[in-house]
Amino acid sequence: MKTKDLSINFCGVKCENPFFLSSSPVGACYEMCAKALETGWGGIVFKTIGFYIPNEVSPRFDNTTKEATSFIGFKNMEQISTHSLEENLEALRKLKQNYPNKVLIASIMGENEEEWTKLAQLVTEAGADIIECNFSCPQMTSHEMGSDVGQNPALVKKYCEAVKRGTKLPVLAKMTPNIGNMADPAVASIEGGADGISTINTIKSITAVDFDRCTALPVINGKSSVSGYSGKAVKPIALRFIHELANCSKLKGVSISGIGGIETWEDCIEFIMLGSSNLQVTTAIMQYGYRIVEDMISGVSHFMEEKGFDKLEDMVGIAVKNIIPAEDLDRDYVVYPKFDDEKCVGCGRCYISCFDGGHQAIKWNEEDRRPELIKENCVGCHLCGHVCPVQCITKGEIEFKENAKERAVVI
Amino acid sequence: MDKKNTYLNEREKLLTPLLAIEEASRCLLCHDAPCSKACPSATDPAKFIRSLRFRNIKGAAETIRENNVLGGICARVCPTSKYCEDACSRCGIDKPIEIRKLQRYLTAYEKATGMTVLEPVEAVKEKIAIIGSGPSGLSAAASLVRDGYKVTVFEQKNKLGGWLSYGIPTERLPQSVIDDEIRYIKDLGVEFKTNCKIGQNINIDDLKQQGFKAILIAVGMQNSKMINIKGMELNGVLKGTEYLSEAKSTDGDIDIGEHVIVIGGGDVAIDCAVTTKLLGCEDVKIVYRRTIDKMPADIEEIKHLQSLNIPIYTGFKPEEIIGKDGSVNRFKAVGMFDDASLELVADRIIFAIGQEADPIKNIADVDVNDKQIISICDYQTNIEGVFAAGDIVEGDKTVVYAVKHGKDAAIEIANYLNEMANVKGDR
Repeated sequence: MKTKDLSINFCGVKCENPFFLSSSPVGACYEMCAKALETGWGGIVFKTIGFYIPNEVSPRFDNTTKEATSFIGFKNMEQISTHSLEENLEALRKLKQNYPNKVLIASIMGENEEEWTKLAQLVTEAGADIIECNFSCPQMTSHEMGSDVGQNPALVKKYCEAVKRGTKLPVLAKMTPNIGNMADPAVASIEGGADGISTINTIKSITAVDFDRCTALPVINGKSSVSGYSGKAVKPIALRFIHELANCSKLKGVSISGIGGIETWEDCIEFIMLGSSNLQVTTAIMQYGYRIVEDMISGVSHFMEEKGFDKLEDMVGIAVKNIIPAEDLDRDYVVYPKFDDEKCVGCGRCYISCFDGGHQAIKWNEEDRRPELIKENCVGCHLCGHVCPVQCITKGEIEFKENAKERAVVI
Repeated sequence: MDKKNTYLNEREKLLTPLLAIEEASRCLLCHDAPCSKACPSATDPAKFIRSLRFRNIKGAAETIRENNVLGGICARVCPTSKYCEDACSRCGIDKPIEIRKLQRYLTAYEKATGMTVLEPVEAVKEKIAIIGSGPSGLSAAASLVRDGYKVTVFEQKNKLGGWLSYGIPTERLPQSVIDDEIRYIKDLGVEFKTNCKIGQNINIDDLKQQGFKAILIAVGMQNSKMINIKGMELNGVLKGTEYLSEAKSTDGDIDIGEHVIVIGGGDVAIDCAVTTKLLGCEDVKIVYRRTIDKMPADIEEIKHLQSLNIPIYTGFKPEEIIGKDGSVNRFKAVGMFDDASLELVADRIIFAIGQEADPIKNIADVDVNDKQIISICDYQTNIEGVFAAGDIVEGDKTVVYAVKHGKDAAIEIANYLNEMANVKGDR
């Protein structure tokens, strides 16, 4: 199997590869983490530990489906680790001892400054390489903790300072997406001494309503709660936040660990190109197991080979500058769709979508069962191409608007 | 011309990327995947389907090729309904994942993108001779050359590939696919000598004198068995293997007759009947002595046969071939289980009731059993340094089994040569 050197520096720590477990149910004890590391993960973020021991509900998950696809999105109600602090510290010690070349990130969560400092000291002594501050769990039963903290930049800064008092290790602040502008708490965390940002944590959600019990899922004695949503469905939101941070001038040079719906090597490349130099995964592991890392390693290696990249570093953030404000986009031309009549199977879905959701720019030739473009109506939105089941609609003729100068464009 | 084109065109369509990913999405991604345990040649479908599912298409193609240098050939001729697809857990829901088609898609992707999964290694080890260039010989050659041995394959015929090139019909296995994979093996450094019949031009002792430290006999079974009934000498009585060879090597330019009866129930019989039909003969029938469920042929091939409107007469064994002017004119059979009788008009009778080996003693004085099968222990014959694999030894007579044999024999040959080297070193 072709494998490239996928090592990368993250917060000054050399990682064998950027693929890490995120702090969650998938990295809750020594045995789980050991198995993950053996399977090829470059490191783990151990499930968040604190003095607080939650009392969990049963059941605690739900998943969103669409047609035959399950796990489009995943809802999780678990809080931080339910194991004792001693047990968790022992697991960290053993992991570092048995896997000295892997990277161990300890995720911590305190209820006040003293706890944050103390936790930082304890995990540092246990052998962690990096500390991640969990400011973002949206389903904590204590409002002194979790995403309520992450929405408050002043509190984020104060707690980062507290953590820094307890350790010399690099510190990550894990951000919540349940906020309009992530740059504010992110900048506050860096001012408080954090070295990098991890994001996104899960998004507050209600996935479905049970019609008989008239409550959300999962049902816990007739009731339910809002809690965190993850998986493929949240990836676009995660990418948007990663880009926001990578693009923020006050966060120049700050390492980003990208999280949110990563499942394939292609997802990994996307997060990297938008500025992540580390990647964290949970939901895909819950669905498919640690083994998914094998295809991340192999797939990224083949991609680098194909595109001529020698180092992962060379890809970090290379797409950031090409995502610009809407007002700065080139609005001078229209790209018309091109229909491949050979490939077309004659379903007429393009016609329906163009009429009902577009600009009535397709005429349906009933006899031939083929679409025909009505150019004067077409605005070049390409909804037709998105709904085509056989991908026979591609980008065709480019026409410049009145008064616009004709030139080469990248489409 | 059109009819002939059906014989020359590959029957099964290649999956499109969309269909391949849809099929991979049906995979249950089992824990200890039964499909991967069911492949005789150790292909790991669970791994390559998972890679495809997670969009690592190159990695998927790599998984196939690293294990099996004949991956594209197996993707066309392997009776997967007996192996991986039979084991598939998805059978508990509806129907198995179409593993063979996915393998074909991935090997086609590998070719289209110009991937080179296997790289040549320097040949620094001993010389090894392989007699026969069928699937077992080819797979052994590839394994050994990748292990650093200097490998020469001797083939008595003009074209390489053995039964692949001289038996399996083009509509199932185009010559271009065989040629591509043989080129791959050549690129790995294997030397091929065609038109060289061991036992005629040169013998095993000559090979040893030429410095070959181990010899693998992988000559297969080329000869159709025949039976002794009245009329076997008539014009129009044909051997199935020869018939298929002629059809394939002439691109179907053969005299097919008007009323053709094929005797037998294995893959060769089905291939003879299908070939004849696709070449334009309207009246083709199969006569088989047992019941349909006992037919050794791949079930998918039997279904294909039926889709071509070729009837199967079961429970009859040949009794007599009646001639007219020295050629076949009628065919008579009697019931196996009752006293029924069958009489059919015919101008060709093709026998495909199993194969036997050419007399092996011309090649080497190896021990054989009463069926002319070479006796082996860990692929070693009774003669020092002489090994045997493929159809010529005990085992399933399928391409995938031949591949397994070739790979396993290669390991035993390497073990043997290592031991020999150690003995020398100890002295």
